[in-house]
Amino acid sequence: MNGHRQRPGPAGWAARGALLAALAGLVLVVPAGRGNVEVHVFTQAAIYAVIGLSLNILLGYTGQISLGHQAFVGIGAFTAAYMVSRAGQPFLAGIVMAMVVGGLQALVLGVVSLRVTGLYFALVTLAYGTMAEESLFNIQSLTGGSAGQPAPKPAGFSTDLRYYYLCLAFLAAVIWVDWRLMRTKGGRALLAVRENPKVAATNGVDVKVYTLMAFVVAGVFAGLGGALLAHNDTFVVRDLFDFQLALVFVIMTVVGGLRNRTGVVLGSAFFSLVGYFFDKLFSGGLHVPGLKVLPKEYVPIVIGPVLLLYTLTRHPGGVGQQIRPLQRWLRGGRFSFKDTHERDVRVTDARA
Amino acid sequence: MSAHVLAQAVVIGVITGAGYGLVALGLVLVHKSSGVFNFAQGEFGTVAVYTLYRVHDRIGVPLVPAIAVGLVASVAMALATERVVVRRLFDAPRVTLLVATAGVALLAISLELWLGEARLRFIQPALGRLDRFSLFGVQVSDQRILILVALLGLAVLLGLFFSRTNLGLAILAVSQEPVATELMGISVRRLSSFIWGLAGLLAGVAGMLAAGDAKSFGPGFMTFGALIPGFTAAVLGGMNSLPGAFVGGVVVGVAQSLAVSSSAFKAIPGPGAVMVFVLLVVVLTLRPQGLLGKA
Repeated sequence: MNGHRQRPGPAGWAARGALLAALAGLVLVVPAGRGNVEVHVFTQAAIYAVIGLSLNILLGYTGQISLGHQAFVGIGAFTAAYMVSRAGQPFLAGIVMAMVVGGLQALVLGVVSLRVTGLYFALVTLAYGTMAEESLFNIQSLTGGSAGQPAPKPAGFSTDLRYYYLCLAFLAAVIWVDWRLMRTKGGRALLAVRENPKVAATNGVDVKVYTLMAFVVAGVFAGLGGALLAHNDTFVVRDLFDFQLALVFVIMTVVGGLRNRTGVVLGSAFFSLVGYFFDKLFSGGLHVPGLKVLPKEYVPIVIGPVLLLYTLTRHPGGVGQQIRPLQRWLRGGRFSFKDTHERDVRVTDARA
Repeated sequence: MSAHVLAQAVVIGVITGAGYGLVALGLVLVHKSSGVFNFAQGEFGTVAVYTLYRVHDRIGVPLVPAIAVGLVASVAMALATERVVVRRLFDAPRVTLLVATAGVALLAISLELWLGEARLRFIQPALGRLDRFSLFGVQVSDQRILILVALLGLAVLLGLFFSRTNLGLAILAVSQEPVATELMGISVRRLSSFIWGLAGLLAGVAGMLAAGDAKSFGPGFMTFGALIPGFTAAVLGGMNSLPGAFVGGVVVGVAQSLAVSSSAFKAIPGPGAVMVFVLLVVVLTLRPQGLLGKA
């Protein structure tokens, strides 16, 4: 920065406003003209964005990773479904309970795994996720077993479109909370820990406590995501929450771009939508000569790892890094690709 | 639980657990030398099993050369992972590498699902007789005896390798002091390839033995079946001890087997997975340096 930065003129602001309005229109208006099936898919994209932001807190801010996020989300979903259809509680009570349970899980697993320096949260959550899949989700009285548990849409939001707007509102709230939290003392401490854990600790930052706080926030978001997912499907079945899903969650966050909320939201939405739109484009599957047809449910897990490895080795900043010039321009700066690479972000671990 | 059921659970647990121990050995080797939690370790084994199945059951190549081809496949996958992914990220934070190896595992699982379909394949164990041997009054199939013999042989070979050969000693040196080892004129990067290849070989052997025991396999066979017990075994060994990892594997195998056959756990679905999780939590809470690890 050299003292006086050039601000855009009225035409420049108008162009920026027009682009923002077009983007808002895309998100708010386009689904209104679509059928219920597609609105349901768009809603899922918004919910995946919540889950992606939850993982972004872990990977982006603490440098730890959860490989059991399908269990965090799944337990949130089953908690919400149980509260509504077994305990007869209202929608909001289910949401709150799912968030509380999500935060508690993350706290307990975090306390255990932070006993040792290193990425033990990954191991503990991996074992936890498998246990949830094989044991917890099969407890008939809590989850309905293989039949599943109903979770009707809340009163007032019973159509797919209304529920879509409700989920968008929740997503906006999560983005806002995430943004505000990163500006508190705890958020700045986490940034310091990420830059250099030893210096941060010397300056009186309790690394463990702030990492645990971040785990809890991530768990709360994951629980919320699960609860929203339950009511979107109106029925929770255990088979949805398998290990592949946990890996897709990780991939969408990293490919989206750690520490860039817009990037994470875009990455999550992409991986949520890709199966459906792939199926629409190649109804009947993609025919690669010499290869088998790729069914739509395998699309995210086939292209996901490829995109992930490409992102990690070539563009560690993910989508977020690619869209940074545009983000700068929208804030009134110049559109240039300069210094997109200087601010190269990496997955940084605080404790390993 | 009657004495016979107990003995049976222990014998089966020791044999499965020794397989977990092999997976754990590979995990510890890689972790000691490069600080990476290798989540692709299980899939190295599944790839060996798929290759063995293709070559032996489909094309009809005799068993012994087919096993060799399968092991070559798992070693090749491990080497490719090291070359294409790990080496490029050599200076990246460890969590990046963890995510990358998880990506490799998912890539393998997705290709198995896509090309091999989401179904179980049934195979004949290499040795079919069930009633020839008995240990502590428990009948043990020839296949399980084969597993036991193979594992013991491999353990002895590894022991000799790490204590008697220059390469083995160099690996131990790298895992303790990489910088000093580099200064002694040993190429850490070249050793890194070798260690990954060895980890791939161990996973391949573990995968083939486990598939022969289970008599069926599917996509992600070793990731879902052996990776978590393997990691738990490695943690039991403190994540840095090779004998500790092997012993840890046996402990995990026996604990899991007892949980599955015990009547006390009847009310809980999936007792094996619960036991592994509980074991991991207990070890991290009470003895985070591992059973044989130094504080």
